[in-house]
Amino acid sequence: MSTIFEGKIRVLDISMGWAGPLVGQMFAEMGAEVIKVEDTRHFDWWRGSLSMAPPEMQPIERAAVFNTANRGKRGVTLDLASARGIEILKKLIEVSDILIENFSPGVMERLGLAYEAVGAINPRLIMISMPSFGSDGPECNARGYGNTVEAMAGVTGLTGYHDGDGQRYTLSNALGDPVGGLHGVFALMVALRERERTGRGQLIELAQVESLIPFVGEAILDFQFNGKVPASRGNRHREHAPHGIYRCAGENNWIALVCEFDANWRGLASALGLERIADDPRFASAPARKANEDALDAELSRAIALLSADECLARLRDAGVLAAPVNSAPAVMADEQIQSREYFVAIDRAVVGTHLYPGAVARMPDTPLRADESAPLLGEHNRQVFAELLNMSDEEIAELERLGVIGTRPRLGEG
Amino acid sequence: MRYRALSDVRVVDLTHFVAGPYATKLLADMGADVVKVEPVWGEGGRKIGPHRASVEERGGLFAFLNLNKRGVTLNLKHRRGRELLAGLLDGADLLIENFAPGTLAALGLAPHELIAKFPRLSIVSISNFGQDGVERDGRLNDLVLFARGGWTFPVGEPNREPLTPPGSLAQYVAALYGAIAAMQALAARDLGLGHGQHIDVSILEATVATMIYETVTFQYSGILRNRAGKRFAVGPFLIATLKCKDGYAGLHCVTDKQFEGLCDLMGRRELASDSRFNSALNRMLNNDALLEIVEAFFIGRERKWLYREGQRRAIPLVPIPSVAEVLEWEQTRARNYFETIDDPVLGKIRAPGTPLRLTSHRGEASRPAPQLGEHNREIFGGQLRLSDSEIEALKRAGTI
Repeated sequence: MSTIFEGKIRVLDISMGWAGPLVGQMFAEMGAEVIKVEDTRHFDWWRGSLSMAPPEMQPIERAAVFNTANRGKRGVTLDLASARGIEILKKLIEVSDILIENFSPGVMERLGLAYEAVGAINPRLIMISMPSFGSDGPECNARGYGNTVEAMAGVTGLTGYHDGDGQRYTLSNALGDPVGGLHGVFALMVALRERERTGRGQLIELAQVESLIPFVGEAILDFQFNGKVPASRGNRHREHAPHGIYRCAGENNWIALVCEFDANWRGLASALGLERIADDPRFASAPARKANEDALDAELSRAIALLSADECLARLRDAGVLAAPVNSAPAVMADEQIQSREYFVAIDRAVVGTHLYPGAVARMPDTPLRADESAPLLGEHNRQVFAELLNMSDEEIAELERLGVIGTRPRLGEG
Repeated sequence: MRYRALSDVRVVDLTHFVAGPYATKLLADMGADVVKVEPVWGEGGRKIGPHRASVEERGGLFAFLNLNKRGVTLNLKHRRGRELLAGLLDGADLLIENFAPGTLAALGLAPHELIAKFPRLSIVSISNFGQDGVERDGRLNDLVLFARGGWTFPVGEPNREPLTPPGSLAQYVAALYGAIAAMQALAARDLGLGHGQHIDVSILEATVATMIYETVTFQYSGILRNRAGKRFAVGPFLIATLKCKDGYAGLHCVTDKQFEGLCDLMGRRELASDSRFNSALNRMLNNDALLEIVEAFFIGRERKWLYREGQRRAIPLVPIPSVAEVLEWEQTRARNYFETIDDPVLGKIRAPGTPLRLTSHRGEASRPAPQLGEHNREIFGGQLRLSDSEIEALKRAGTI
C-alpha cells in the first residue's frame, strides 16, 4: 500500500517550535518528502538549550518534543544570514511544493523570502505563514508561543476553580500550538487541491490566535447573549451535579465522575456505599443536587477517598455511571483502549534510543499514514539532500561546510 | 467567512453536537457544498447553549458550528429515508458522521457497502474511542475525556484536585483531525490511489495526540510533571499565569535572551548573572525563588504596562483577556476577524471568523446555519427531482 504523497510532494519546513513543525510532520505522515531547514546558529529553539548538558552529551538532540514534532523529515542546515545560504534555500524552493514558515512578521521579507519573491521563483509553490497574532494589525509584532496564544484566544481566562480566588491557569499542552498546526495542515490540503485545478500556488496566512478562538465560540456567544463574562466553573457543570474530580486512596490518584441522569443517581450512591443519602431530598433530582452541590461533593469525596481508583471505577462502571481516571502520562499510555488500538509507535532515534511516540490519528485503510520514522539530527541529511536535489558535488558541499554555510554542529549560545 | 476553494466538493453531513459539526464547518467555510442531514426532530446540538433569553429551540453554538451548511431532515429508520440518503450520496465525495460505532451498519448503511456502491465516496467516522478496541462502545463527556486523555492531571494547585480545561476544546481537536482526514481521502482518490475509503478518527486518540509534553517527555526524562499551580511546569523556564494589579498576565520566559529581557523589565539586570539564575539549568533548580521575585514585581503593575514593556523587550508577555475582551481586542477588530451573522432566530451574532486566509479567493459573507429542514424542498425537489406532492407525502409520513 502506498502513502498519499510518496514521490509526489516535497515540503520545505523552515519553521520552529511546534505549530509549524507539526504541519511538516503530518505531511511526512502522508508520505511527502519533508526537508527541515535549520541554521546552525539559530537551530530550532525547541531543541532546547545547549547549556543543559555538556557538548559530548549532544543536549540539543535530546529534546523529546523536537524529536516528536520533526519525525519523518530530512534535516539540513543553512546559514540564513549569509547570501549563499539564502541562495541555496531559494534553489530548494524552486523544486518544492510547499514552504512552511512561522517567523515573526517581517522576517521573511528581511530574508528576501516574501511570497512575491518565492512565488516568482516557483509559481506552483504554496507558502503558509503562521504568525501568532497575524501578519498585520496593530498587535502583529507581539511575540506569542503556544501558551500566550492560548491566553489571547480567551482560553486561559476561562480556566480556574469554581471556588478559587480568581487565579487563572494555563493548559497543560500549549494548545495554541497544535491547534495552529492542525489548521495549517487543513489549509495546505485545500490549497493543494486547488492547485490541481488552477496550476497555481498561493500564500496562506494563518494567525494562530485566530485558529483557537473558535474553540471558545460558546463562551463568546454566551457573553453576547447574556452580557456577562461566564464565570469559571472549574470541574463543575452548568446544569447538573455531581460533575467533578475526586481523590481516591493512595498518592495523587483521582477520578472524574459525572451523573447526568436521575436514573443513575441511586446506582451511584449505592456503588459508593452511600445508600444513606440515596433518598435524601437534597440530592433526589438533578436541580436539587445542583443546588446542594457543596454538600453532595463533600459526601462523595469522603466515600471515594476510601477506595482505590480501580475499585471505585469498577463499581461506577457496574452502576452505569460515567467516570474515568485522571490519567498521568504513563497511565494514558497504559490505557486499555489506547493499547488495544496500538496508538503509540516505537521509534529508534539516534542519541536517545527507542521510545514510544503518538501515532497518526486518522486510520486510513488504503493509504495508511506513517508516523514511525525518526526526527533528523542537526544537518544529518545535508550531503544527501544537496547532492540529490541540487546536484552539488562533494567538493561544493565540503566548501559550504568550510564556509560555515552548512554544518552539523550548533554554533554559539542557543537557538 | 466563506471561500470558494472547495466549491466542487459535495459533503453529506450526518454529524451532531460538536466534533462532527466543526469538522464539516471547516469544509463548508472553504466552499464545500455541505448538506446537513438531521433527524426530523433535529440534531441534539440544536438545543445546547448558550441561549438567548426565551429562545430555547436554537442555541448559539449550533448557529455558529453550522454556518455555511444547507439542512435537510430525513428519518433514516424509514426505508424511504434511507433511499433518499442514497440519492444524496450518489455523486457525493464525502460522508462525515459521528454516530456511535455500528450505528450506520445497524441502519443498513454499512460503510463498506456504501463505498462499494458509490466508489467515489469516502466516509470519515469520528467517534469517542474509534471503530474498534475493547472499549469501542464507551461513553464520554468533556470532563471525562480531558481526564482520561491526560490534559487534566498536570493542571491546578498541587494541594488541590486537578483542574479540568474549559468547554469542549479536545472535541474541536478531534474535529480538525476529521476535516484533515476528509481532505486526505480526497487527495488519495484524486491521485488515483484507489477508490474512496472509510477513515476512523478516535476522539480519545486525538486528545492524547496533543499531550506530547507528557507522553514522550516522560519517557525521556522519567520525571512526571505534577501540578505546578500558576506555573505551566517547573522547568528550565518560567511559564506562568501571574496576578497583576488589574487581573492576570501570561509570561513565557524560556530563552536566555527572554530572561535577560525580563530582568531588564524588572529593573534587576544583575539577576541575569546571579548564580541562581544564570543558566537555564539554574533557573530550573531555583525556579521557586525566581517565581517569587517575578510575582512580587507583577503584582504592582498593570496588565497593559506589562504587555507593552514586556513585548518591547521581546518577551512573550500578554495580558489575559476575558472572552469579552477578545471580542473587542483591537487586533481582531483591525483584521475584521469576527463576522456578524444575521441569524434568522437569534438575530445578530458576532461569530469567530475562519482562521484560514487564502489569497486565491476573496472571502464572502457566511450563510446562517439552517433551520430544521430548511432546504428540504430545494434539495429533494431540485437535486433529487421529487415532485411537490411526493415531498408533501414524505412530510406526512414523517420521513422528512
